[in-house]
Amino acid sequence: MKKLILAGAALALMSGTALADKFLLDMKGPGAGNPFWAAVEAGAMEKGKELGVEVMVMSPPTESDVAAQIAQIEDMIAQGLDGIALAPTDPNALAPVVDAAKAAGIPVVFVDTKGSNEGVTFIGTDNEAGAKLAADYICGKLEKGSEVAILQGIITQSTGQARANGSKAGLEACGLKVVAEQTGEWDRAKGQAAMENIITGNPNIKAVFASNDNMALGAVEALKSAGKLADVMVVGFDANPDAAVSVLAGDMTATVAQAPKNMGGFGIQALVDLKAGKTIPPVIDTGTVLVDKSNAEQYK
Amino acid sequence: MLGNSPRISSFLEHYGIVVIVVAMMAFLYASRPDVFMSLANLTNIIKQNATLALLALGMFVVIVTAGIDLSVGSVMALGMMCLAVTAKAGVPWPIVILIGPLVGITAGLVNGLGLTVLRLPHPFIMTLGTLNIARGLSSLITEGAPVSGLGREVRYLGQANYDFGFFPPPTGLPASLFVVGISAVGMWFFLNRTSMGRHIFAIGGNPHAARVSGINVDRVLVYVYAISGFFAGLGGLLLAGRTDSGFPLAGQNAELDAIAAVIIGGASFFGGRGTVLGVMAGVLIMGLMRNGLNLNNVSPFWQQILIGLVIIAAVYIDVLRRHAAVRR
Repeated sequence: MKKLILAGAALALMSGTALADKFLLDMKGPGAGNPFWAAVEAGAMEKGKELGVEVMVMSPPTESDVAAQIAQIEDMIAQGLDGIALAPTDPNALAPVVDAAKAAGIPVVFVDTKGSNEGVTFIGTDNEAGAKLAADYICGKLEKGSEVAILQGIITQSTGQARANGSKAGLEACGLKVVAEQTGEWDRAKGQAAMENIITGNPNIKAVFASNDNMALGAVEALKSAGKLADVMVVGFDANPDAAVSVLAGDMTATVAQAPKNMGGFGIQALVDLKAGKTIPPVIDTGTVLVDKSNAEQYK
Repeated sequence: MLGNSPRISSFLEHYGIVVIVVAMMAFLYASRPDVFMSLANLTNIIKQNATLALLALGMFVVIVTAGIDLSVGSVMALGMMCLAVTAKAGVPWPIVILIGPLVGITAGLVNGLGLTVLRLPHPFIMTLGTLNIARGLSSLITEGAPVSGLGREVRYLGQANYDFGFFPPPTGLPASLFVVGISAVGMWFFLNRTSMGRHIFAIGGNPHAARVSGINVDRVLVYVYAISGFFAGLGGLLLAGRTDSGFPLAGQNAELDAIAAVIIGGASFFGGRGTVLGVMAGVLIMGLMRNGLNLNNVSPFWQQILIGLVIIAAVYIDVLRRHAAVRR
């Protein structure tokens, strides 16, 4: 009887190795309904098909559910697999489980959000460069010395910090005056309230850079009800469908698109390379594109 | 000192909180004289705190019964999502604007019935459950995507602004102010002039005595949570109108802001005590503090710390006042 079980186990192991390499993409939130994660997922699946490897996609139910993401990865390490592309919900909280994967000989790369583990490649948007792109666009439309404002995201997150720093550096580099920096915590209603306060305190501002489109859309509402939308240009970040519609309608002026599909695709490619023993660069930029009226249609 | 004069101490007992509001306004005026008292800024303060005021009114009734309703932020988001989706589906606006409050009442009934029929030991548990359920449902409806573009009539209560031919255009009295005003007066009348209102205070003061004296405690509690849900749903209607959007993450931690406003306003966590005026003052204190700190470009981290300190200080002042009153 024991022999039979052993034989069975051996067979299972053999058949396991006979199958294609198995990679996990663990995202911050579910792809269903969120176009961003859906695109990351699609990019990874396409690349998996192209390279003939198996790609599994998982995520915690919400982006704040750090514990669920840790548990998923622990479970997958226990099952055994050939690589993990991880978008960490909380870089520090996920660090131990990433170390555990590496200790088990499983290659790991970060996609979208950089983790805190040393020596793990990050594949994602250079948010500072993206925010700079938005700032340069604003610079090109305004006179030197004009007053501008920044709506920050959650400033304790690296993405929030990078977008705040990149935009501020870009706006100041071309001689614009940043008179207000307030947080809208990525939230539409909070962004709207922050914008109302900014225009009350600084009636002369000519442009606002919002660190994401939700806050940019809130800023548009604030400017509309103050009757100032014609005087103040609003540039967001993310190019989500609502923002694309708003750009086409002439409410928002522009936004910045990330390339989430690249994140999934480059992520799987990097894991396959690592598995084959190749070395990959520590940071792989997936690129950003400025979206205004001329190209907003494709982001609707 | 002040406590020695019964007139002054009685005045402070009832209106001390209003004095604090006035003092805060004077302080903010001194810090940004150019901006704080501008019509635009005062309009902003009203618009930004209308939703919190409604949530706090609902929370207040619950806290008077020595209960708690942790679900209000999530229920508000659920109401927003439901009305946004139906508005987008082309349902006529008179029905759409009822959906927020109806979703809220339904969630409140679930809370109340869960508490009384399932005999859960504390409303914390039932409403912690519905906090999660309502948040999950909010996201489930559109798989997490926000819904924008609700139409003029649906947005009216959250968006309209009356200038009365007197205020310069962007400023004025927002419709949401009237919603809050009517709600507050209605709540005052309900709590102070109806038998149900008196029963609510009686239950909070001493549930056992209330039961013995023939009050149907369970029935009153179901009503109380339904009222809280109603205000959460109405808050959702205002916020959806204001932002022209239903988004599933709306109102995260709003329940804590509502609780803070009620407690700052002098209501007792142990039930049976508090006034509508105090709650409105509590909302204003929270709102004025955020506004003033924003206008002075104070970091949001300091804002959190200060709000925490104000919660503690407000209740401590209340404790001192109560002590003085007992000694007298």
